[in-house]
Amino acid sequence: MRMWTYVVRRLLLIVPIILGVMTITFVLVSALPLDERFTAYLGVPPKGQSYAPTLAPGQGVCPANATQNCSNPYYHYALNKLGLNQGVWVQWGVWMYNSLTFNWGHVGNASDVVETVYPEAKGLPVTEVLGWFLPYTLELAALSLAIIMAVGIPLGNLSAVYRNRPVDQASRVMSFSGFALPTFLLGSLVLAAVLIGLGSLNGYHSYFCSTGTTFQDFTGSWPPAYCYASPDPTNLGYPSWLTAGYISHPTGFPTIDALIHGQWSLAGDTILRMILPALIIAYGTIALLLRFVRNSMLEVMNLDFVRTARAKGVPERTVVRRHAGRNSLNVTITVLGLTFASFVGGFPVVEYLFNLRGVGQLLAYSVITPIDIGLIFGTTLLFTFLVVGANLIVDVLYAYLDPRVRLG
Amino acid sequence: MSTPEPAAPDVYETSTRGPSFRQRMAPRIAQSKRTWYFLRRNGLAMAGLIILLLIAAVAIYALSTPLSYQYMTEYCATNGATCLVSPSVCTYPQGTVAPGPGCYQTPADFPSVIAPTWASLTQPGPLPLGSLSVDPPIQYFYNTYDGLLRGSDWSMLISLTIVGAGATIGLFLGAVSGYMGGVVDEGLMRLVDIFLSIPQLLFVIVVVTVLITLLPTSGTDFAAHIYLLIGGFLVTWWPFYARLVRGQVLVVREQKYVEAARASGASRGRIILRHIVPNSVYPVFIQMSLDVGTIPIIIGTIVFLGIRIFPSTYLPEWGTIAALSVFDLSAFWNSCQIAACVIPWWQLLFPGLALFLFAISVNFLADGLRDALDPRLRR
Repeated sequence: MRMWTYVVRRLLLIVPIILGVMTITFVLVSALPLDERFTAYLGVPPKGQSYAPTLAPGQGVCPANATQNCSNPYYHYALNKLGLNQGVWVQWGVWMYNSLTFNWGHVGNASDVVETVYPEAKGLPVTEVLGWFLPYTLELAALSLAIIMAVGIPLGNLSAVYRNRPVDQASRVMSFSGFALPTFLLGSLVLAAVLIGLGSLNGYHSYFCSTGTTFQDFTGSWPPAYCYASPDPTNLGYPSWLTAGYISHPTGFPTIDALIHGQWSLAGDTILRMILPALIIAYGTIALLLRFVRNSMLEVMNLDFVRTARAKGVPERTVVRRHAGRNSLNVTITVLGLTFASFVGGFPVVEYLFNLRGVGQLLAYSVITPIDIGLIFGTTLLFTFLVVGANLIVDVLYAYLDPRVRLG
Repeated sequence: MSTPEPAAPDVYETSTRGPSFRQRMAPRIAQSKRTWYFLRRNGLAMAGLIILLLIAAVAIYALSTPLSYQYMTEYCATNGATCLVSPSVCTYPQGTVAPGPGCYQTPADFPSVIAPTWASLTQPGPLPLGSLSVDPPIQYFYNTYDGLLRGSDWSMLISLTIVGAGATIGLFLGAVSGYMGGVVDEGLMRLVDIFLSIPQLLFVIVVVTVLITLLPTSGTDFAAHIYLLIGGFLVTWWPFYARLVRGQVLVVREQKYVEAARASGASRGRIILRHIVPNSVYPVFIQMSLDVGTIPIIIGTIVFLGIRIFPSTYLPEWGTIAALSVFDLSAFWNSCQIAACVIPWWQLLFPGLALFLFAISVNFLADGLRDALDPRLRR
């Protein structure tokens, strides 16, 4: 099979997965109360109106002298709009159409998201709000992935080569403890350690912010306003080129934008603030990669061509790196896709703890009652797309590296 | 002089009753002995096993002792609301609001954080592991030791139920899928693909959130909440097992004994239940033991994110206690003048340690089992 045929076939396999995930979200949403669904997917009703099925006399369109409750036209409009007055297949069809056209509803105006953290997001389309926060999450994901690969692959090779020796045992204990330590606990411990360390070393001044004295100085995506040389009271602590507080221009990626604007220190600060969270995310998922690299290395190390290379007198270092390492790379790449799926789950906790402006933080605040349906399901779909996309890239890469996959 | 060799036991002895139970189990017993031999030589696995046995002993002790739910004790209500006490250096006179000399003070929002102590005159009982500050602030302190003791059986019960039910569903769906092949296989595996493409932790969070909203908010029906929690986990849990078992069944299906069973006219159900499932169950056990340690962590994450799974936040369950212990720590640090505050190390350490030891011991044990059961990894 040619490479592009394989890619097309792999792309076609995604279609049922996307449709299936949307169907699952449809089933879950169908379980929720009607008025919450109306608010989430049709927006807040105009002033004085409501989505209640019937109106008491004097309420909305119902005349004050009515003898009984009137039916609410808004309710019927909403029912019709979501297809809820028709069969379940029509409802499903409307849901699928809306999901596929990125019509993912609106941010509500009662949840913690708009009450405490992002008042600007109130009533806006979910896709737009997610669009503001996605770039930061992607940068965090890229940094975590880089750390995982930089540490996991050499460590896995090392523990395969020195099998059952102290190096192997130590690396396994370390990676297992990453599995066993909940992200929320590890994050809190790291924060405590940083707090104690900074507090005792230089009088609570963080290195991010030379004038800062509090906890917020080393959490958050950007330094607070008073860390700037000339604090601007109108900006809420965000770099001046961020309009409306959150929407960043021109690319949306905070580091790249800071570089474009020539603010080197800000770019450095953004990355510096990302390192601890990225380390925590990486630590939680490195065990998976480590275990697979170790096992695939162990299998490859016993194959004939490795013995041949050794017999030829190739130095052991080269055998490990060039002969065995290259051949166990295939498995490694497959596992990276899996790793991506499992570390996406760490974002809500880490972004919540470190107060980072990413999609995970949106999710963390939207699941607290009163929940924000639009954001919850929007985030679910978005993260699923990320994982499916990562798996696609991994599979194509795998097929490119190993011709047996596309030929066989 | 050579002793005559003892006659080999005739495992295939033909009689009307068939082979005895011991004869039938002989290969399994031999394999178990072999597994135990390799497991015993694996230090990490043995450490995991010992820790697990200790935890099980604690759980049995907790189940068998008629402890009342005394993990929250009225203390600060009588002694004034703000008390971060290091009892060794601090006297805290009964009935007064102001702490005595040498006492640390917490911000007003964080009462009842008490350092570990065995007993003292001013306190109603020993606090070997200290107490937690909980959010929202309550007038009582949360006795970590009693909470963890009570929680050991809850944690075990919830995780074992989820893992057991999930594995059973996955086992049978996977076995059917792998054995039947064709349309059934394709359909089931596409379904599994869909479920697996949603990040697991996220999926659990979303399902539990939706399920919780279905319950009346004022309800205190404890059992209903637990059932919903278990149901929510099950929805997201079975696909892993289904895929795992299917892969194993594809291998087992081609074995000679399955062919023999088919040739002797065994029905499909009998082949799946008696021949295929028992022989593809080992990887499932390993995965189960890994998952038992993961579930309290996930429950803790859910509680940490502020989802009200339980009618009371103070349910003694290990994940919940660990989540409680870090729940509002950042607020604590923010409101606390650092030089004047004692970092409540006991609060961070003990609940987390319990959760951590549980999870890491099952990890070690599962890894050891995998090595012992898979001959390729033993080379």
